[in-house]
Amino acid sequence: MTAADPLRSGDERVSIREATARDVAARRALALGGVVPHAFVTPPTRAALASCVRDAAAAGAAIVPLGLGAHRALGHAPTRYDVALSTRALTRIVDYAPGDMTVTVESGVTLAALDAVLAPEGQWLPVDPPLPEQTTVGGLIAADLAGPLAASQGRVRDLVIGTAMTTADGREVRAGGRVVKNVAGYDLMKLMIGSLGTLAVVTEATFKVRPRPQTTRLLALTCADRTAALALAPRLADLDEVALAISMIDDADASPTWQCLLGGVAADVEVVATRIRAEARAANATVEYDDDGAAAEACTRIAAVRDLPRTAADVVVRAATLRTHIIDLVAALHGSVGTDERVRARVDPRAATVTLALATGDAAAAIARLRAIAASRGATLVVERWPDALAATVEVWSPLPAALPLMRRIKAALDPAGALAPGRFVGRL
Amino acid sequence: MSIRVALADADREQLRRALVAIVGDDGVLADAADLRVYECDGYTLERSVPALVVLPRTTDEVARVVRVAASADVAFVPRGAGTGLSGGCLPAEAPLMIGTSRMRRIRAIDLPNRRVVAEAGVVNAVVSRAVRDGGLQYVPDPSSQNACTIGGNVAENSGGPHTLKYGVTTNHVLGVELVLPDGDVVELGGAIEDTVGYDLTGVVCGSEGTFGIVTAATLRLAPIAEAVTTMLAVFETVAAATTTVSRIIAAGIVPAALEMMDRTIVAAVEAAYHAGFPTDAGAVLLIELDGPAAGLPELTSRVVELCRDSGARSVRAAADEVERAALWKSRKRAFGAVGRLAPSYCTQDGVVPRTRLPEILARIEEIGARHRLRIGNVFHAGDGNIHPVILFDERDRDETVRVLAAGREILEACLALGGSVTGEHGIGIEKIRELALTFGPDDLALMQRVRSAFDPAGRANPGKIFPTGAACIEQRTPRRQAAM
Repeated sequence: MTAADPLRSGDERVSIREATARDVAARRALALGGVVPHAFVTPPTRAALASCVRDAAAAGAAIVPLGLGAHRALGHAPTRYDVALSTRALTRIVDYAPGDMTVTVESGVTLAALDAVLAPEGQWLPVDPPLPEQTTVGGLIAADLAGPLAASQGRVRDLVIGTAMTTADGREVRAGGRVVKNVAGYDLMKLMIGSLGTLAVVTEATFKVRPRPQTTRLLALTCADRTAALALAPRLADLDEVALAISMIDDADASPTWQCLLGGVAADVEVVATRIRAEARAANATVEYDDDGAAAEACTRIAAVRDLPRTAADVVVRAATLRTHIIDLVAALHGSVGTDERVRARVDPRAATVTLALATGDAAAAIARLRAIAASRGATLVVERWPDALAATVEVWSPLPAALPLMRRIKAALDPAGALAPGRFVGRL
Repeated sequence: MSIRVALADADREQLRRALVAIVGDDGVLADAADLRVYECDGYTLERSVPALVVLPRTTDEVARVVRVAASADVAFVPRGAGTGLSGGCLPAEAPLMIGTSRMRRIRAIDLPNRRVVAEAGVVNAVVSRAVRDGGLQYVPDPSSQNACTIGGNVAENSGGPHTLKYGVTTNHVLGVELVLPDGDVVELGGAIEDTVGYDLTGVVCGSEGTFGIVTAATLRLAPIAEAVTTMLAVFETVAAATTTVSRIIAAGIVPAALEMMDRTIVAAVEAAYHAGFPTDAGAVLLIELDGPAAGLPELTSRVVELCRDSGARSVRAAADEVERAALWKSRKRAFGAVGRLAPSYCTQDGVVPRTRLPEILARIEEIGARHRLRIGNVFHAGDGNIHPVILFDERDRDETVRVLAAGREILEACLALGGSVTGEHGIGIEKIRELALTFGPDDLALMQRVRSAFDPAGRANPGKIFPTGAACIEQRTPRRQAAM
């Protein structure tokens, strides 16, 4: 792509040269693995976005679709990164029918903005990635973001019932619909979820939404040490649907704590709270607080369960296994941490995942070590954050799936020119 | 070389021998009488006898069969139990049918991790029975659950009455073993929730056998709810019943199931099963609440109150498991009971946003009256998934033409209300035209590109889902008539 190639942003034609001059800071803010895009465009409508994609395709430019960029650390650095194409200006609430429990929004709507629409009707989209103010619906889908709520409420794939997308050749297409049950045509929504924008640009999505829990309650149990805390994992994993979100937050500087967010009918919440207190007594854990905080509700209280304290320089990995293997996996990962390293962890006993934030002097060696441990136990591992210096060598996902050749064929079928986020995905697709 | 959709006798014999070498004599059906069983599924308006049916026992046999078909460039159609309702396994454009009925092994049961690996031919209800003593269940329960298979459920992304709270098949399938149309076996997804790569399992669910043959699936199990209440609410009118559905949802209550039957269906069901349904009511709602025991009485009394406020004549909770089973049996076998009302019936599977139920039901009534047809309604009200049952006599050619017209008009009305032409039965061969009304050419082209990644030669279940050209669509109606 030459510097004079025009890119349309709505009615405005922006040349790469102008964009370069004007948006240096904005472009630097969207660097991926140290690579700064040549241009940054924020089309104001879906049609303008499709037009941008067509223009870029005609110019042979590589596009990386983004929302607000809050979660862009996930994925390999792109092999080519000409245009950062943001959906952040697509902020329309297209349709919301509370009686149908469905909502259709453009992909630049943030989760916080969406919640502001749903809350007055007593409904919510039960997803809880970090940074809801900076997380767009498009980002939620592209990165398949999930927090501890997913264990009780399902993942993004269970909530999306339709999407509009712009294909690599700039066509606006649809899949699914706006009704909760629909088997007309292939479920292409599933392909979009977690694909990091490598197959198409999601411009609109329809979700199933749910009633907000009538009552919520947050309990925290502090355990003497990690072993004692992990012993509670299977007990807490067995709690029923009232246990909305459960995490063990394990900071090297403090005693490990189980954070349990409950929600539902008051009588059910009381039963589960009682059971958790009994589990705590049996395990010699301290109930640090048991808060029925009538004023605050689930969405605002999820941070305690969700957020892993970490620093910007930490390497972050997430490993997933089966429930019966989680204690062993967590113990083994912790066991590998060196005395000169500092680790903090969040364990989800139901999703059977552990997220580790590691301050280390040798990120490459630490990642290799953690990967080897995960691999030896049949667990999957995603390196969510890594230093830019490792861009060329880091393998973000492992193990690579056996079906990778088929995934390559999917990528080639939908993006034959390799123009969408090239190199970002699993196997550097 | 183009894909062969029909076989000359000599080629058929050659293929038969090659298949027998893989699966043995008893695994290949070639006699006219045997093959006739496979001429259609639950959608009976079109029939086509396959040239050969092969019944492999293992994934390896399926792969070898598919490779033989590939080397002969013969198209194939996968088949489970043949309970599909959209002609998904009609062998119209594929001479070779590959049935999974002998792949009935549950390969692994992992109760602590709530996983089962079941082969494609395992009957849906068998999975839940196998894990019941562990307090677990496989939630998706289509009405045909005592016959339909896991492979068929994956192909169709089957629903059932409990999807309102728990979702459909795709929400419970974590991975599949898929034999691609070139005979390669791929494992997609798996027992761990965080799978790496594109969610191919998700796109295989509902692909109606056009990506290859699913030979096994890893299923998520769920705990059997601690408590359950099943209620029968009786209303004077369909409108009062649909209003109640909206009010329950608006109150923030998500029942496990919310099913409606109108007067026509209730009369048939009562005559067949004697479950105590009032035959003079306008409509009944079957409402099931489940969850932790402590909160259920409160939810139940709120639902009862909402029903009464909406003018319910009566609301009765099943006193015990026997009564509950009787209610569900009546609902799940409603279609069987309809046979008492008319020599033939056909049903549609449209979906509307649930708040538009009163409108679509009024439209159905109007369409029925205009075409002089009797139409009953039994459906998943909570999901807005309607099943209008059109009663007719297929020997009456004129009436049959009106049935087809009415069915199309009902689905078009669903689309006009923002809905879908199929909630759980699939496109198959029945609703190809309606799919083209749902999606534009670019939408369908994208789907076709995904298909080409799985099946570049188009050997897996050709002639399904997608319109192959206007001419083909035009031919359909006469062929249907000829088939009756």
